[in-house]
Amino acid sequence: MIRFLIRRILLGIFVLFGVSLITFLIARVIPSEPAARWIGPRATAEQIAAAKVELGLNQPLFMQYINYIKGLFTGDWGVSITSHQPVLKELLIFLPSSLEIILGGMLIALIVGIPLGVLTAVYKETWIDHLSRGISIGGVSIPAFWLAMILQLIFYQYLGWFPLGERVSTETALLYPIETITGSNLIDSAVQGNWVYFSDALNHSILPMLTMAAFPLGVVTRMTRSSMLEVVGEEYMRVTKAFGFSSGVRTFKYALKNAMGPTITSLGLTFAYALTTTFLIESVFTWPGLGLYTSNAILSSDYPVIMGVTIFVTAAYLIVNLLVDITLAILDPRIKVNVE
Amino acid sequence: MNTKHKPWYAIVLVSLFLLLSACSNDKPAKEADTAAEGQPAGGIAVYGSHDDIMTFWDPSDSYSNEIIAMNNMYETLLRYDTKDESFKNILAETYNVSDDGLTWTFTLRKDVKFHTGNDLTAEAAKASIERTIERGKGAAFIWDPVEEINAKDTHTLEFKLSYPAALDTIVSSGYAAFIFDAAAAEENGGEEWFNEGNSAGTGPYSPEKWDRGSQLILDSFDEYWGEWEADQYQKVVFKTIQEANTRLQMAKGGELQFVSQLPNELIKSVEEADGVSVHETESFQQLVMMFNTEAGPLKDSKVRQALAYAIPYDNIIQDVLGNTATQSFGSIPAGLWGHDSSLHQYNQDLDKAKQLLEEAGVDGGELTLTYVSSDEEERQIAELLKIELAKIGFELELKGMLWDAQWDMSKATNPEERQDILLMYWWPDYADPYSFMKNLYASEDEIVFNLAYYKNEQYDQLVDEAQEVAGVDRDKAIELYKQAQQILVEEVPGLSLYDRKYIRVINDSFGGYEDNPAYPNVVFFHDTYKK
Amino acid sequence: MDLKTNITPPPSMEKIGSKSTLSNSAFLAEIRYFFKMNKLAFLGFIIIVTLILLALLAPLIIPYPNDVALETHVENKLQPPSADHWFGTDELGRDLFSRVIYGTRVSFQIGLIAIGLAVLIGIPLGLIAGYFGRWVDEVIMRISDVFLSFPPLLLSIAIAALLGPSLTNLMIAISISWWPWYTRLIRGQVVSLRERGFVEAAQAMGVPSWKVIARHILPNSMAPVIVQISMDFGSIILTAASLSFLGLGAQPPLPEWGLLINIGRNFFLTNWWYVTFPGLFIFISVMAFNLFGDGLRDYLDPKTRDS
Repeated sequence: MIRFLIRRILLGIFVLFGVSLITFLIARVIPSEPAARWIGPRATAEQIAAAKVELGLNQPLFMQYINYIKGLFTGDWGVSITSHQPVLKELLIFLPSSLEIILGGMLIALIVGIPLGVLTAVYKETWIDHLSRGISIGGVSIPAFWLAMILQLIFYQYLGWFPLGERVSTETALLYPIETITGSNLIDSAVQGNWVYFSDALNHSILPMLTMAAFPLGVVTRMTRSSMLEVVGEEYMRVTKAFGFSSGVRTFKYALKNAMGPTITSLGLTFAYALTTTFLIESVFTWPGLGLYTSNAILSSDYPVIMGVTIFVTAAYLIVNLLVDITLAILDPRIKVNVE
Repeated sequence: MNTKHKPWYAIVLVSLFLLLSACSNDKPAKEADTAAEGQPAGGIAVYGSHDDIMTFWDPSDSYSNEIIAMNNMYETLLRYDTKDESFKNILAETYNVSDDGLTWTFTLRKDVKFHTGNDLTAEAAKASIERTIERGKGAAFIWDPVEEINAKDTHTLEFKLSYPAALDTIVSSGYAAFIFDAAAAEENGGEEWFNEGNSAGTGPYSPEKWDRGSQLILDSFDEYWGEWEADQYQKVVFKTIQEANTRLQMAKGGELQFVSQLPNELIKSVEEADGVSVHETESFQQLVMMFNTEAGPLKDSKVRQALAYAIPYDNIIQDVLGNTATQSFGSIPAGLWGHDSSLHQYNQDLDKAKQLLEEAGVDGGELTLTYVSSDEEERQIAELLKIELAKIGFELELKGMLWDAQWDMSKATNPEERQDILLMYWWPDYADPYSFMKNLYASEDEIVFNLAYYKNEQYDQLVDEAQEVAGVDRDKAIELYKQAQQILVEEVPGLSLYDRKYIRVINDSFGGYEDNPAYPNVVFFHDTYKK
Repeated sequence: MDLKTNITPPPSMEKIGSKSTLSNSAFLAEIRYFFKMNKLAFLGFIIIVTLILLALLAPLIIPYPNDVALETHVENKLQPPSADHWFGTDELGRDLFSRVIYGTRVSFQIGLIAIGLAVLIGIPLGLIAGYFGRWVDEVIMRISDVFLSFPPLLLSIAIAALLGPSLTNLMIAISISWWPWYTRLIRGQVVSLRERGFVEAAQAMGVPSWKVIARHILPNSMAPVIVQISMDFGSIILTAASLSFLGLGAQPPLPEWGLLINIGRNFFLTNWWYVTFPGLFIFISVMAFNLFGDGLRDYLDPKTRDS
């Protein structure tokens, strides 16, 4: 286990180096003058030269990269060209609201996906199976940005159930203000017992969460199904059957327990995808999170931000997967055998 | 958990819940009843913008959307009123100019407090302008004619100019002309302190909370020198809502008092809705088409004229813009002094275009056009131009780019690598035609904004002379600008396609708003009230 | 350890390898069996064939071929679907049906070029790594590990965003993100083939290594590559559309689906058809490839097949 952990961490560091090198090289290969953009319109030659020194762009490429890596470890992730703010600081400001919809989406995916996966395994080769396989493949095939707009059309435009965008309505934010503790409006308002704010924020987050749920839903359903199929065939299922447990209890209690591992794995794997999906949908929902921050950086080709976000998401992905593996190893000792 | 403790736990939890929900219910009542005499009690006004409003908070440097909120936190000595072309005193009580136009003296208002708690003095005003000039960022160049600033006594401020420029327009600029408590700001940390969301201005509102990337909440300033009426707004919120549909729906739902821009495709649905209305106002914004006069087929003014005759003006204005613009006359927009509607306007006449091309001995070719990719209207216009220019034999390659990239390309050292046609919106830094006439077309040694690369000595002379007399003899300046514009119409180094109108969506309960194109997209919230 | 985001483990490649050695009639029987067992895969296959036909015939069958790039009719802007314009019209009055159908051609072209580039980078590297082994193998495979360690979508967005918006950059970005999958696949093939008799025999006869690769190893590795391409194609279409939606990639007036949605989002609440139809086409295409690929995976994976 320890050896496995060390290997994983080393590989993770290697990957992060690789990612930083790829993004760094591409960003520097592009002929552009970040120093001129830093100053803004009507920059004079002297101002640009001064900005180059300020941004460290006057040094040789190799030194620039060393400095960049040094910065990554010391928390200096570069400075946004458009806002002149430290990238890491801004990332952390915008992260909680993205995590809110990512985790909400995953929760929905679990609540719907696991029963669906169990059903489809139990009723293998029937229409239920086909339907839920269709749903599961549909979930991973649907363009998230399109789903976001279709949900807005249906639930805002035609049904009027949910608001179009934003995290909370202005009136609620001003009349029932909350203290920012975690940055997640739902948690903060719940902790402070501000239920008016909570329900308003929840109402605003339903559509983004549903959009975020589509991809993990597909993955969870599929993983649950296939691991159920493996488990159902196993000997002890037959044994429990002999003891006369009813079919429903048997299926859920025993099979599901064994299907949990792959499902947790799949959630870990979809995490990075979910972070990337926020780039596509947060602008649709006017949801001020990591995704909106990134898509704006893309529109203004704010390359320090793009590099920072890429490294951040990669690191988050590696860490989450490491945690998933550790959790699995703790939950199920058999996993250890599979790991190496 | 030990099961014995369960009942305890439940009781604590329930009572905590009740207590907290009781607290949260008190809040609105508190807000509503505290309106005392001379305090605003009109509630909240929300401004919906498509773009981030606050990025750089430093009043010296800010040269972008920030002015929308800044003009509510900061004030200038004078404010230009486009409607009657006059100057309103804001922080200045009176002012006068010497006969030679070189010395301007302003007497400042006496009861003014900065948000920092200090009093406005001539010394403070001098310090803020000098800070702006020293930093030299953003629109600081507007102070170029100023040679020195003197604080004659606590409330008298004197400017010495190097030539008789129109200082009244300069001090009323929406950029770089704010008066603020420079000393206190520097003590607190200068630019960084500003960028944390602080203000050192004198304006009616001061920042309360700033959620980066989504909203800025301003609160009314208790010690503001102007009067507060009960129907004025206590709080002003500036919201960034990129999605046009969301902006539209929020406006219709009464969540926004004011929306600065909407795609004209959505306007119709506002017109049909209750409780909101559409306001069209003139702006000083023109869509300008710059031709490359230095390289390629457009070197020849006949070819440029031919292009001017190939543009589908009516389609652009009626169909793409839904009549939210009017075709420009010359290069100075309507409403700005110097505008002249007697100048020749080009119309689409493909036969004439072909004839001009024949005279020039050019039969088409390939041209590159760059436009700002984030601007939906520019994109549509570019696509129309591609189709129309094909009819006179030119194949147009469209390049949608970020402004920075577009500008970089236009400044390429090799003229052959630059674009042939460049589309951009242009508007003045302050209400003066100089921005259009000098910046766009006067010869430049180093390319800045003359992206037509136009060089014409006669033109340069006319514009320079116009600028120098503008402070003392406005009529002469107008006449000189007219002659200069005639050269532009004749030679077509660039062409203003249309004067854009601003489309505002305004809630019917939102009173007192008047558009002032000298301060693009700014709402002076102290002038507004709840109906 | 396995860090990739595929929904299921990769198919057993030996099994695909052996498929190519089947006789013709047995092969057909096998295909029939495959579709019979995988009705959803069959559905996917039918849709894919239809889409390919649409892509090939687009210029001939669309009602307003000039609306793709040559004409505008601004006076007819944003008309709802009607008998003349099945999918309505866009903001310049062009027929959306014509543009969306033509978009099939655009998306398939982008996908083919992008994956072609990925294969062109990936296969030679995989061949080299597998054939030469040792430190060459180690270096190439560690580099591809870096790429395989996070989802291709993130890397594609990052690269395209840093390179700047253009269709070429989009295809470069996608191929840079995808090549390692092919390198790994080919390397595995080569390693297993190298153990087989005929490669060793050729080497013993003094045939130079590039000839061994070209004659014996490459042809034998193509079947799994084609299977992998058919399974990846859906994700590639989705990635390309996502990039265009972000404003990277395709530029107007090209009727690329993601770009159409990006433009249409400005008016979609009042003009529902504008984003609905291009999105539906992305959805259907990606789904068809995933249904087909999913069936293939099930079929090739002995575990799910036998249960």
